[in-house]
Amino acid sequence: MKISIYRLILLFILFTSTKIFSQADNRWFLLPDGLGLQNQLEYSYNVENKIEILENWLTIDYNKNIFSAGLRFEVFQPNDPDPSISRGKVKYADIAYKYFAVDIGDVEEGININVGNFYKLFGRGLILKSYEDRNIRVDNNLLGVKVEANYLGFTLSALSGSAANSINERQDILHAADLQYRGFDFIKLGTTFASNQPAVDGVARTSLASLRIQPSVWNFDGYAEYGIKSNKNIQSQIFNDDEWKIGESFYGSLNFYYDAFSIVGEYKYYDNYAFTSSDGTIYYNTPPSLRKEYTYVLLNRHPSPLDQSNEEGYALEVNYNFSDETSVIANYGITQTLPTSSYYQRVNNSSNLISTQLEEIFLQATHNWNESFTTIAALGYNEELSTNTKNITPILENKFYFDNINTIKLVLEHQQTENLSTDEKYYDDVINIEYLRSPNFSVAIVAELQTKEPVAGNVVRKFWSFIQFGYKLGNHTDLSLLVGTRQAGNICIGGICRYEPAFQGVEIKMLTRL
Amino acid sequence: MKLLLLFTFLLFVSFSIIAQNEEDITGRKAPNFKLVNLDGKYVELDKEVGNGPVLLSFWATWCKPCLEEMVEYNKIYEQYKDKGFSLLAISTDTEKSVAKVKPYIKSKGYTFPVLFDTNSEVARKYYAQQMPYTILIDKSGNIVYSHLGYMKGDEQKVEKLITELLEK
Repeated sequence: MKISIYRLILLFILFTSTKIFSQADNRWFLLPDGLGLQNQLEYSYNVENKIEILENWLTIDYNKNIFSAGLRFEVFQPNDPDPSISRGKVKYADIAYKYFAVDIGDVEEGININVGNFYKLFGRGLILKSYEDRNIRVDNNLLGVKVEANYLGFTLSALSGSAANSINERQDILHAADLQYRGFDFIKLGTTFASNQPAVDGVARTSLASLRIQPSVWNFDGYAEYGIKSNKNIQSQIFNDDEWKIGESFYGSLNFYYDAFSIVGEYKYYDNYAFTSSDGTIYYNTPPSLRKEYTYVLLNRHPSPLDQSNEEGYALEVNYNFSDETSVIANYGITQTLPTSSYYQRVNNSSNLISTQLEEIFLQATHNWNESFTTIAALGYNEELSTNTKNITPILENKFYFDNINTIKLVLEHQQTENLSTDEKYYDDVINIEYLRSPNFSVAIVAELQTKEPVAGNVVRKFWSFIQFGYKLGNHTDLSLLVGTRQAGNICIGGICRYEPAFQGVEIKMLTRL
Repeated sequence: MKLLLLFTFLLFVSFSIIAQNEEDITGRKAPNFKLVNLDGKYVELDKEVGNGPVLLSFWATWCKPCLEEMVEYNKIYEQYKDKGFSLLAISTDTEKSVAKVKPYIKSKGYTFPVLFDTNSEVARKYYAQQMPYTILIDKSGNIVYSHLGYMKGDEQKVEKLITELLEK
């Protein structure tokens, strides 16, 4: 069956490619009306352990009037070693995502019905965030039916579907609905309900519900959402039916902006609020993590994973633009575990003291000296519990614009790390030199040196370096070639991380869209 | 495995060949979408198309090249907005950073429409796999240009295409 799918897809690609290519003589090619294609290929060969990895995602979409349909064909050989990513699919080639949708009406009055696989976010993800992020290999799509309707300022979303668990089986069924009202200018209101129906008889449903408000007055904008979680088995077995809920959560944010100044404050309280399938391998919710998103290498080296069940904290970020040339950002955030009185500790029969999971400070100043030269200076500090480290990271980035299309970028990163468990201190240095020529070409050389002194007087140094070329083929294809060695580390997006082992070899990436 | 390699190779070759023509213009119809703007009101693409070229700029507050690109797109917007050109800056900030979008835009004084695509549903329709990602749509609703990433100078080609489309 899988061979047949290969052949069908192959024939389809050949057919469309030939058709498209044949039209290129007049410097104008058209896909069949309504058709869209995207292909993402990633190939790597690790010369050290002789492991070859091929990953490919081919997406085909078709839109015609109110109808749309599509599929995503995925190939992994071999798959990621992390079972939460590979989901038991060691060698995998199949249509992993397919849908048919109809969209009737407009933004005032309309309805959209989707049958097949789909993603959905309610509010800020406290209850439901079904999404794909290929960078961290997360895909918790639901297979089922989703309906969204707009009428008189109301938006109703209702869905019923099943996500793939750790062995790639769709067993539990998720039912969820969200209603929001946007009829007032100064406030938006919403409510969400979701329930996971286990595939096994005798196991109680887990249900979550929330209310949210989104006020907007003058230069202030706010968001607040409160949610509760219930499960009859846990209510009776753990709480002897003395509690009507087994978890709760709150997320709030308040923004203020005035002229060139802005401030964002966020608060979170997630108590036993992870919303999972009955086997615990599918996470339906991903609330705001209140962790700063960094683009620099070393600032992501000691990440703090999100725990939807045991977190309380807040974050503040201030932006100020002194002028068109100069701006500053200051960020502070702290996340702590919950006290013994929390639902989380009572359900798990634990009595752990409150501890700080993450405390981070980030300062950044940007200054354009003139049209040809820009400097960014940054300083990061964090104390992180899962690796039990304290890290101080100064960064200096300079960009030289030689003319309208040529740029040289130089980034220097230094990180002092103190392991609070062993008292070991070490440091890392990263240098990144990049040449960019618009619109087609870039080359970067990245080197990292780690210096440790496990025993006094015995300095151990490790060195990694790679060169990476980027090239654009026409308007449709982006190619990337990496050769060299790379330090092991985590790729993290908002507290959700994917571990990447150390690498030595060649990596090719190609992204094409038509 | 052989079939898999052959399949991948053919994909590579066929896609690469067809993409080599620098002046290729894709004719894919821009998929319609409905997104909420900074004021919480819905904006629908089909209602924006028709007056002139529409530039979709997919960006995020944590993406530094996006913020550099936005400075340049703002200049283009200010120059051509009265001639029929529209810019829709589509924020793909997730629930983790979406609270920072409006303060950032206001503190920079940008006046172009900014839309929220918090779960990347529109980004997926347009194959915006990475940020920043630019799509230019003509007044007939066809995608005439797409570009991934930003390097200083990329905005020149975008501006050139916009002026050509405005003259048509």
